[in-house]
Amino acid sequence: MRFTALFARVIATAMLFVCIVAWRPGDVAAQETLQSVLQPYKAELSKPSRRTIGPVIAALLASDHPAISDFLRKWEAREVYQRPGDGLFFYAEDAGDALTLVDIDTGEAVGQVGSREVDQIKPNAGVQREVAAALVPFELNASDPARRAAALESIARSADASQIEPLAASIDGEPDADLKTRKQRLLALLTAQFGADKADRLAAIDALSGDTSIEARSVLNQLTARRDALAETVPDGANIARVLEVGQDMTRAEAYDRLVEKDLAPPRQSAAELRDVLAEHILDGKVGGVPLHRLNTVENRAIAYEALEAAGTVPPRASDEEVARAVAAYVFYEEYLEPDPDITNAAEAALTATARMLAVYQTLDLVLDGVSLASIFFLAAIGLAITFGVMGVINMAHGEFIMMGAYTGYVVQLFIPDYTLSLLVALPLAFAVTFGAGVTMERLVIRHLYTRPLETLLATFGISIALQQLAKNIFGTQARPLTAPDWLGGAITLNDIVGISTIRVAIFVLALIFLALLLYVLKRTRLGLEVRAVTQNPGMAASMGINPDRINMLTFGLGSGIAGIAGVAIGLYAQVTSEMGANYIVQSFMTVVVGGVGNVWGTLAGASMIGFLQKGIEWLNPSNTLAAQTYMVLFVILFIQVRPKGIVALKGRAAGD
Amino acid sequence: MTTLLEVSGVSVTFDGFRAINNLSIQIAEPELRAVIGPNGAGKTTFMDIVTGKTRPDEGRVIWGEKSVSLLGMSESEIARAGIGRKFQKPTVFEDQTVRENLAMALKNKRGPFDVLFYRRTRHAATRIGEIAQEIGLLEQLPKRAGALSHGQKQWLEIGMLLAQDPRLLLVDEPAAGMTPAEREHTTDLLKRAAKTRAVVVIEHDMEFVRRLGCKVTVLHEGSVLAEGSLDHVTKNQEVIDVYLGR
Amino acid sequence: MSTQDMPSDIAPRKSFFAENPSVLWFLGALGLFTLSVSVLAEGFGLPILSTSMVKVLGMTLCLCLIAVAMDVVWGYCGILSLGHFAFFGLGGYAIGMWLMYARTEGIVIDSFENAPIPPTETEITDAIATQIFGVVGSNELPALWVFAHSLPLQLAMVVLVPGLLALVFGWLAFRSRVTGVYLSILTQAMTLALSLYLFQNDTGLRGNNGLSGLQNIPGLLHVPQSTLALWFFWASAFALGLGYVIFAWLVSGKFGSVIRGIRDNEARVRFLGYHVEHYKLVIFTLTAIVSGLAGALYYPQAGIINPAEIAPIASIYLAVWVAIGGRGRLYGAVIGAAVVSLASSWFTGGGAPDIDLGFYVINWTDWWLVLLGLGFVAVTLFFPRGIGGLFDYLVRAK
Repeated sequence: MRFTALFARVIATAMLFVCIVAWRPGDVAAQETLQSVLQPYKAELSKPSRRTIGPVIAALLASDHPAISDFLRKWEAREVYQRPGDGLFFYAEDAGDALTLVDIDTGEAVGQVGSREVDQIKPNAGVQREVAAALVPFELNASDPARRAAALESIARSADASQIEPLAASIDGEPDADLKTRKQRLLALLTAQFGADKADRLAAIDALSGDTSIEARSVLNQLTARRDALAETVPDGANIARVLEVGQDMTRAEAYDRLVEKDLAPPRQSAAELRDVLAEHILDGKVGGVPLHRLNTVENRAIAYEALEAAGTVPPRASDEEVARAVAAYVFYEEYLEPDPDITNAAEAALTATARMLAVYQTLDLVLDGVSLASIFFLAAIGLAITFGVMGVINMAHGEFIMMGAYTGYVVQLFIPDYTLSLLVALPLAFAVTFGAGVTMERLVIRHLYTRPLETLLATFGISIALQQLAKNIFGTQARPLTAPDWLGGAITLNDIVGISTIRVAIFVLALIFLALLLYVLKRTRLGLEVRAVTQNPGMAASMGINPDRINMLTFGLGSGIAGIAGVAIGLYAQVTSEMGANYIVQSFMTVVVGGVGNVWGTLAGASMIGFLQKGIEWLNPSNTLAAQTYMVLFVILFIQVRPKGIVALKGRAAGD
Repeated sequence: MTTLLEVSGVSVTFDGFRAINNLSIQIAEPELRAVIGPNGAGKTTFMDIVTGKTRPDEGRVIWGEKSVSLLGMSESEIARAGIGRKFQKPTVFEDQTVRENLAMALKNKRGPFDVLFYRRTRHAATRIGEIAQEIGLLEQLPKRAGALSHGQKQWLEIGMLLAQDPRLLLVDEPAAGMTPAEREHTTDLLKRAAKTRAVVVIEHDMEFVRRLGCKVTVLHEGSVLAEGSLDHVTKNQEVIDVYLGR
Repeated sequence: MSTQDMPSDIAPRKSFFAENPSVLWFLGALGLFTLSVSVLAEGFGLPILSTSMVKVLGMTLCLCLIAVAMDVVWGYCGILSLGHFAFFGLGGYAIGMWLMYARTEGIVIDSFENAPIPPTETEITDAIATQIFGVVGSNELPALWVFAHSLPLQLAMVVLVPGLLALVFGWLAFRSRVTGVYLSILTQAMTLALSLYLFQNDTGLRGNNGLSGLQNIPGLLHVPQSTLALWFFWASAFALGLGYVIFAWLVSGKFGSVIRGIRDNEARVRFLGYHVEHYKLVIFTLTAIVSGLAGALYYPQAGIINPAEIAPIASIYLAVWVAIGGRGRLYGAVIGAAVVSLASSWFTGGGAPDIDLGFYVINWTDWWLVLLGLGFVAVTLFFPRGIGGLFDYLVRAK
């Protein structure tokens, strides 16, 4: 029993302290000795049974002796010994082979005995529970805050009406503010459930409305628990939750099954049972006068069975009309276990309010999820958006650059075991690797295809399959881990409902950093100016002395480099495989297309829209993430109808060509 | 001479820039009209609006005897209504022969299934021959259009316009990049075409406009600055300021 | 000059084949190929080509057919569709539903043969449903299968499902003037959505299990597979020949002139008064239907279809075949599809010998995709006209 073990430990550590408290000469002088309080019950105490111990404990506690709870706790923890001769109780200290007996009143050692000369009293688990429950009110007022907290937990675990009073009584004297709040909360929960006074209960229930904690919800759910019931007419005085309409809230078959369950109607035969019964009564190629070959319809089988039934060869069965008649004769309803309708109404109202609060929190949680998904899409897509916007080039190998970044992170971890350090190395290295790959690809392939955008799409696709297979050949097909450092491991939780893993927060922060960085580069630097010039009007930019070749190369490198960093980020929470890039490429395209080309804000808008949308659809249909993706894609197709150029569209003549 | 096209009070804005500002022009049938103006005066945008490529923010574009509004119509519907357009850059289908180019433009039913089950007729062949002769490309009929010289491509495009048999021809800088002899041929072509239909020519080259010898509309900052004969408008002080001043 | 003096080529009224001799050449080559395969096939004469080989060749012919369709939509009309393999798959699913249903129905009826009491129709349907959908934990026949019992209806589905999907999608996309890479991405999105949809277990097409046992043709169970393979091979060859002629006719006349015009300069065609969107829609839908038919012929030979077949990558490979074979010429598409798909199965099937470099052994199952990817880049860069471009050199050399 964990509970008693806990108590035993608490007691053992506090024993010395307790003994000192108990040893106050004034008290002893003013009252009876503990021993004398105990002696009348020595038989029950030495051989306790669960059935009889209750009144004894009550009587002992009623004596109000200051040391009685300490005694009971020790007794329960099997630390009390009884001397067979005079029946006196002692505590004992271990002294090698022997025991040192300690007087229960004075706390003084009274002499050593062999361990067989005294009987250790061993209450069983049931008794221990009784004692523990009886001690709760005392524990609630214990001077040690840890003990008071433990007492609260014990009450919450096995709540009943009897605990309301001691709990309420302990609140005023509670010095610890935190514990006081907890006590008040627990009291409210208990009052709601078991309060004797209806007005108190209603007030307590009302106070729970909107409370989203699991305890509060479980109390309200218990108050509104229902059971299925049926009767010929709705009984007066029953607290009915709702009457079920057959055919609407339940099928006729279900209703009939309930009647059968209560022995109010004969069981129904399934089609298979009917067939089997018929098969047992084949006579000269006929069943009940119906030729076998005609038994291939439900109607003819029914006719055959009725013929058998009429002949008395088979027991009667419920035909469809009989079922309908039987079901019609009864009212089916749900009934509250709680008889008082005022209470259940209040609880239902409170639950409704709680559901509203829950919806708010769930929305908040959904928003957080959406933000984190949007950040990922943003990181994955922004590189693509830059290259697409500036060069009108769709880079199908972009996903493979993400993969390259993730594998770079993995390889770095092979060499640098410290995860934090390796991450710090991996981020710039991934950028460098994919920047290099991007520039190489631009120089070798894309440069030659600027006038043929569709062919760029295909050529980069060729590179994509080659890179993917290459990764497979080098790293194998199984997923490789990219482990996040411990400080990114946990989750940040607001309450039972709202929470977000730290890694996703980190990705969000990373996305913000990149957003700021890109905006800075594009709006405040010479390179950015040139990039924007080439985006808006390449011909004009070239004639103003901007070298579009160099800009294209750098832009492509930049876009690819960001893909590499996105790869590290994605690898931290997803697995690193050769196909991971392919999983993000279509979403990234959607993000770019929805957002509008050639604009950082557009990509942000696109990523947010797609991220939130996907989470939103997942929330509507949580069992099926595949469906969410399907609907998301359909949405994008329709969205393009409304805004063919994306959310943030470039306007003017330049955009037309 | 009846009014064929009436553009009135049309404005269009690109990203805050007013490309066309309360523009009103009337074209009669038949008529030859030159539209001139400095860069950015809105000449090409005017054509874009008439042919349905650009939707104006406000104003009306009215067409034909039945006074149909062109604003709700798509580019292809406008083309079928009888407006043909030649672009600034010669845009012919370079991969196809001159004959195929002309055949595609030839006035016929334009639906996909009409075209799919289209059978070449002697009448159509004759018509293609006539047009080819008119634009001086009879010998080049079986050649790939991509193999033509720059001037020939311009003529081919004008020929394609003629093949459409439009009531209004919009011609954007037809003489750009042509030799003097070619220009002369082009002028003749346009003048002949304008005998039976309305022809609007956008041109930079004053010499070319002079040779057309027709009414001139001067556009500036998206609206009409002056209208009249070439001599008349070139005497206009505002026009002189726009072209020479500043 | 009067019209009488005009050069004689002004009004040519030659026959279609005379104008397009390459079509005759192609039909001749296809006929010869079909004849030689038939003679060499296990199910007919000399047992040199195994049944599985005949099936592979028959399937290749179906791939050639969809490649021709792809060439028309991309090479001629300029729409780089990354969705045509989805239509192919839909055709396969449509015919697969009938194949699977009818075959399971046969099995179920056989199993009721010895039952003392004949089954009701509901019992038969339920048993079929349990047989087919037990694997995805369902025992009800989804609404999607309402026509599955009937071959004619399901054949209509082969045409209607890809056709209607292409019509609706194309109408939406073309109407909003989505062109170029945007359109490609959008078609890819459509393909992705479709394959994700099919991957779900509860959409009534057995999720990632797909449809299987399609090589068993109900009503023809007594015919040995070697013969069936040959029949399907002939059907595929006939379909390819017919499809080729139809498409060649389509792209040769004025219609072809218009769609090539759309490919080269869409705006110009529009200003000539053609409703460009309608043309694109006709081409997109027609090629989608042909793709669906090709799929309906392909999957009974393959025996199994699952959503992975429809994944976007398949449609991209289709574009790769056409590009390698040479766009804008129908025989190029056929060559590309045949060469690349056969080479792929040869290399990845372990047919190609490993190359020992001393320090590293090149295993083609691992390296084929790398080679294909890079080779494809090379073709795009250096031979934009593909293998078919070689014929130009031959013709010019004459």
